[in-house]
Amino acid sequence: MTNLSFPKLSWHRLIAPWQKIDWFLLLLVSGAAFWGGLMIQSVQLTEGADDWVQHWVTGSIGIFVVLFLARLRYEHLLAWSWLVYIATNLSLLAVILVGITAKGAERWISIAGFNVQPSEFAKLGVIITLAALLHYRPAETLSSVFRALLLVAVPWALVFLQPDLGTSLVFIAIALGMLYWANANLGWLILLISPGVAAILFNVYLPAWLAWAALMFVIGWRTLPGNWLAGGGAIIVNFISGELGNLLWGLLEDYQKQRLILFLDPSKEPLGGGYHLIQSRIAIGAGQMWGRGLYEGTQTQLDFIPEQNTDFIFSAIGEELGFIGAFGLVVLFWLICLRLLMIALKAKDNFGSLLAIGVLCMIVFQALINMGMTIGLAPVTGLPLPWISSGRSAMLMNFMAIGLVESVANHQQRTTFFS
Amino acid sequence: MIQNMSREFRRLVFVWLIFLLVSIGLGSRIYYLQIVVGDQLQAKANKQQKFALKPYIPRRMIIDRDGSVLATDRVVYELYAHPRLFKQAPKTIATKLAAILEDYSKSELLNKFEKRGTGIPIKDRLTEELASEIKTIRSDGLELIKKYDRYYPHEGLAANVVGYVQKDQHQGKTGVEFTQQAKLTRQAEKFFPVQRTARGNILPAYLPKNTVTFDDKKLQLTIDAKLQRLAHKAVEKQVKEFNAKRGTVIVMDVHSGELLSLVNEPSYNPNQYYEYDLDRMKNWAVTDRFEPGSTFKPINVAIALEAGLITPETEFQDPGKIKIGGWTVRNHDYYSEGGHGKIDIAEILQVSSNVGIIKIMQRMSPQNYYDKLQELGIEKPVGIDLTGETPGYLKPEFQFTNYEIEPATTAFGQGFSLTPIKLAQLHSSLANGGKLVTPHVVKGLVSQNGELVNSNNDSQKRVFSSETAKKVVEMMQTVVSEGSGQTAQIPGYRLGGKTGTAQKAGLRGYYTNEKITSFVSIFPANNPRYVVLAVVDEPKKPLAFGSTVAAPIVKEVIQGLISIEEIPPSHPEELKNQETDES
Repeated sequence: MTNLSFPKLSWHRLIAPWQKIDWFLLLLVSGAAFWGGLMIQSVQLTEGADDWVQHWVTGSIGIFVVLFLARLRYEHLLAWSWLVYIATNLSLLAVILVGITAKGAERWISIAGFNVQPSEFAKLGVIITLAALLHYRPAETLSSVFRALLLVAVPWALVFLQPDLGTSLVFIAIALGMLYWANANLGWLILLISPGVAAILFNVYLPAWLAWAALMFVIGWRTLPGNWLAGGGAIIVNFISGELGNLLWGLLEDYQKQRLILFLDPSKEPLGGGYHLIQSRIAIGAGQMWGRGLYEGTQTQLDFIPEQNTDFIFSAIGEELGFIGAFGLVVLFWLICLRLLMIALKAKDNFGSLLAIGVLCMIVFQALINMGMTIGLAPVTGLPLPWISSGRSAMLMNFMAIGLVESVANHQQRTTFFS
Repeated sequence: MIQNMSREFRRLVFVWLIFLLVSIGLGSRIYYLQIVVGDQLQAKANKQQKFALKPYIPRRMIIDRDGSVLATDRVVYELYAHPRLFKQAPKTIATKLAAILEDYSKSELLNKFEKRGTGIPIKDRLTEELASEIKTIRSDGLELIKKYDRYYPHEGLAANVVGYVQKDQHQGKTGVEFTQQAKLTRQAEKFFPVQRTARGNILPAYLPKNTVTFDDKKLQLTIDAKLQRLAHKAVEKQVKEFNAKRGTVIVMDVHSGELLSLVNEPSYNPNQYYEYDLDRMKNWAVTDRFEPGSTFKPINVAIALEAGLITPETEFQDPGKIKIGGWTVRNHDYYSEGGHGKIDIAEILQVSSNVGIIKIMQRMSPQNYYDKLQELGIEKPVGIDLTGETPGYLKPEFQFTNYEIEPATTAFGQGFSLTPIKLAQLHSSLANGGKLVTPHVVKGLVSQNGELVNSNNDSQKRVFSSETAKKVVEMMQTVVSEGSGQTAQIPGYRLGGKTGTAQKAGLRGYYTNEKITSFVSIFPANNPRYVVLAVVDEPKKPLAFGSTVAAPIVKEVIQGLISIEEIPPSHPEELKNQETDES
């Protein structure tokens, strides 16, 4: 009997350090990474490339990273968050100074023969430092909101200057999400993005812009200290930002402008910037309900979609696995987000909860924008689909993020913690 | 705490709401693309990926009777330069290119490059070897366009039979290439849609099996390339020797009408047909008429024999000249030999007596004679499978039957005209026992294993009895053994023959000093299989007769036939004697 019970004991002992981690979440993201490798293999079948191997290898390393990080106590990061912040900004600065240029933007730096994309790791850096800040100072007051915004502004600017528009938008999404979770007033957050909305509406439909400005007046009046004066301030800002939008628009690089508008009507440039979008939509549509079968997608196999192993991987899923596959992936991400939300709810402290929410925001935003751009709902911003798109830095960073969240799960208290 | 709880709850609901909206938004858009407009998008995908492949299917090969290739399609390349796309310095490219293309210097190429930015044709019909060398330059802006080109490995050897194909049009222009166009062009049995990549390349992996299926039959000719070469050399030698205008040799299988050889000299190289006059490209053995002269006499003898007007033993008085309707006709040897006295039919042929043959034909009514000539098809095309055939020409019936001189001149082969191929056909009818067979050069389509798929079934028409034919061949044999054709004798073998040296009529019908010499032979005489006819037009040296100019050609060709067809000697003892003589 003792012989028989021995392995049982050993198994328990083996997993003891990870007793409370979310195995289902780990399974979900590992499954996503496996799926991604499969799709990359299919995409590159006729090209002779084999990025799917390194995708799976990086993914396997990622699982160990998760298990390793889950054992560490995430609270220790609180003390070191300032160091994370400095490292993040320095690495982004390094990209601008010694980065490798690709497609009009500097993205990579070379470390020991590997091309590393610091902006990917910067996302995690921003999540950690923002979580630490908001842990000590919840965003219940305007001053702490501005403090948080200032903190994000530095890495955001560095990324924006690369220029990497997509990642800079991820920073904004992370910041807004975490601020909201840290009890910031929803009205403030709406006011925060209102100039951007106003700028767009001003150029698209004038009455809508006027209505928006009016709405902002109400929100400003209701949520900001200083009553109607604040509302007046909001409306002025929104009026100005119509023109300000044009000014900001002028700051963008040509290729960025093109990417931002073209998704609305890709047929304007069927052979230029719109080509990706048209071909991607055709591919996904051609998949219909059940798809053309793995390795059988003709749009995919005949190379009609550029950059399909990275940004446009979703079109391969849509074509080869059909509506079932494409919607299945949406459900997969939905489940990942659900688990992250539950960890955020069960975290023993604000820091842990905010870490989970930051990761959640990052993944939701990237998945939404990436899938959105392949199906014509969002502009082309060059954001990878987490765990699916080919790319070592992103893959590793996504697993590190899950590792942190698993640490939060692993070290939660028995009772549910609310802020 | 309660306030906190509710705030917490609101927050959760808000996040959930966002999740829900995002999922619904993505899901419904995916649903719209894949389910609602999926059919249209799939149709779009198919439209840009699939197209019907309509490749050029090479023309069939043309082979000789032994399978030797006379014409085939080969891959060639056309080189274009697009200087605008050059990534290397034009000088570098010109240097490298000039080293490969022998007919261009570096500076010439540089001049060409300056013409315009794109699409400068540099050279056409580059072989695969040269093209792959050019590819090693690895320069953008040099474009090699692949295409098919007709190639004739034997060059001018059978050009007048095979013909040529118009460059880039894949249309046969003369010869078999023209007459057999339908058989030579292959139709693909099936066209499949194939897939192409975004760059427009066709993916071999996506080619369905048997995308284009076509048979690999070849067009076989009756021509024997070896014999053709031999005959060409023989006629070329004589044409040069006698400074003649042109020459032709016909070797015809008398039973089937197959032409083993049909040579024109001068010929042309069909690989560079565009460098020659159109006149060279016709096959004058088929297209041009001539007055045959004495080579027609055996036909006349056969006509008289067939009509029962003479027997081989019938004798005629030959004083050397004869007066007909106010004209005096002399033998060709009248001034040297005078009359021949009393001679029989064979002797008339041996000495080629004009007086003798006139007297023979005078026994026949001009009307009957005329009708028989028509029956022989003098004024009809022989129906050969080559281009540009001209039927023969007889004087109008009224003139022929009412003027005494007309049947008389026809008797010795003047005053009418026919093509060399017609003359060969008429002699074949003597050789094969009295039947007119259709001369032809196309055997038919043969499959890969050499099986004849379809052949020409030609009609045969009896014009002489076999006895008549046999008697004439026997007489012709004496022409070679004892008469004017002795220059064609071949030890160990017997052959019938007849020389011909005719005066050529000028444009207005008056005879000129130009001659046309010919020699026709039936071989082997004891069991005829072949007719060999050589005609040499306008030999300009003295002592140019059928016996001196044309007979040696025929002799050489028959010697070639003997070795190619392995014909055993009928009189092997002569060969032994010869051997002992030599030893």
